[in-house]
Amino acid sequence: MFGHEGARTARLMIYLLLALALMAMDQRGHYVPRLRSALGTALEPVFHVVEWPANALRAVRTYTTSYRTMLEENRSLNEEILVRDGAAQQLETLRQENRRLRALLEATAGREYEFRFAEMVQVNLDPFSHQVIIDRGGRDGVFVGQAVIDGAGIMGQVEEVHLHMSGVRLISDPDHALPVQLTRTGLRTVAFGTGETSRLALPNVPLQADVRSGDLLVTSGLGDRFPAGFPVAEVESVRRDPGGMFAEVEARPLAALDRGREVLLVLPAGPADRAEETPDATAEPEGQP
Amino acid sequence: MRKRRDGLGKLTLVLIAAILLTLLPLPKLLDPIWPYWVALVLVYWSLESTGGISLGFAFLAGLVLDVLTGSLMGMHALSLVVMIYLVQRFRARLRFFPPWQQALSVLALLVNDRIILLWITALLGEPVPTWEYWLAPLAGMAIWPWLFLLLDRVRIASRQQGA
Repeated sequence: MFGHEGARTARLMIYLLLALALMAMDQRGHYVPRLRSALGTALEPVFHVVEWPANALRAVRTYTTSYRTMLEENRSLNEEILVRDGAAQQLETLRQENRRLRALLEATAGREYEFRFAEMVQVNLDPFSHQVIIDRGGRDGVFVGQAVIDGAGIMGQVEEVHLHMSGVRLISDPDHALPVQLTRTGLRTVAFGTGETSRLALPNVPLQADVRSGDLLVTSGLGDRFPAGFPVAEVESVRRDPGGMFAEVEARPLAALDRGREVLLVLPAGPADRAEETPDATAEPEGQP
Repeated sequence: MRKRRDGLGKLTLVLIAAILLTLLPLPKLLDPIWPYWVALVLVYWSLESTGGISLGFAFLAGLVLDVLTGSLMGMHALSLVVMIYLVQRFRARLRFFPPWQQALSVLALLVNDRIILLWITALLGEPVPTWEYWLAPLAGMAIWPWLFLLLDRVRIASRQQGA
């Protein structure tokens, strides 16, 4: 009896050690992420099955939405398009102006990005995973490290690419660091996730730095992961403890990390951007005289 | 030999159902009280089936759950191995408890599991979860007697098929 019990405890210990080793390796990024990515691809069909009832429910709801509601929604959407079109007109002028100014300063050409639409797969993941799954994968050209945004700001980056789906690590992950810049002062710092979807921490802001609540944080583009200039968060509180070295700054992410549905994948600015830049450079001297 | 394999097939099916239930997208209200389905199923199978289940099986089920829910690799594996170990250790006693007492033991197992998870997530730098974190074990306890009856039916049907 005792021997049997001892053997069981020994087995328990072995499995515990194995689990701990796996966790440590996953955390550090040794081998295990690749393994889980492969396993995830194999298990991808499970997500399709899970999504099925939710999709069916949504289809039923769409089907039963009254004509009047649809009409109203349509009208409000049309109005919104008009408003955005108005804003976009101004944007075009600004873009040209920006290009001229950059040429005058002989600065590098600004980058323009393209976006690709993706939808979140509705599954209930571990809340501690800080991950969402989107319905585009390697077949659609998604790659590891690609930035993911929603209508309001940066959401995260692609971490695992499967065939038709990818896992996106959210910026709220305590392990996630995002190089940011304050638009008002140009101060560069790093925004860390806190584990809460409504809070980012900026632990490296000097005590005397000019930071106020309400300041906008955008990506700085340092680190070459995220493209520069995308809104990230709004500074919510600044606490200056005279005894400390740094101000305690907290910010609220602008993207809907916990309740979004549609997202955009940012495509890297490629040669298409440069092609657009060349005619402009030749046009410049033309306008000069 | 044949009978055992049939039981394993049934268990796999029930486990797949439990995993699908776990991944089901939920309204915000239901989210915190969603029980740990995989653990409940494995505890039942470990208690009631003739062969029980091995720690290795619990470990593998945990790994699958880890990959699917995107949690740290090994987290659920550790949690399930500990739980099944405890069930095996006290199996003789747990089996002959009246249902309400068994439900209380399940509560103890699930709370213990939450404490282990809390310890792991704290090491990862996660903030301390709210009180809602402790609702899921209570829900697990509440659902245990019904799940027990349901799984009893499934398992006995499998035995009759095997015979």
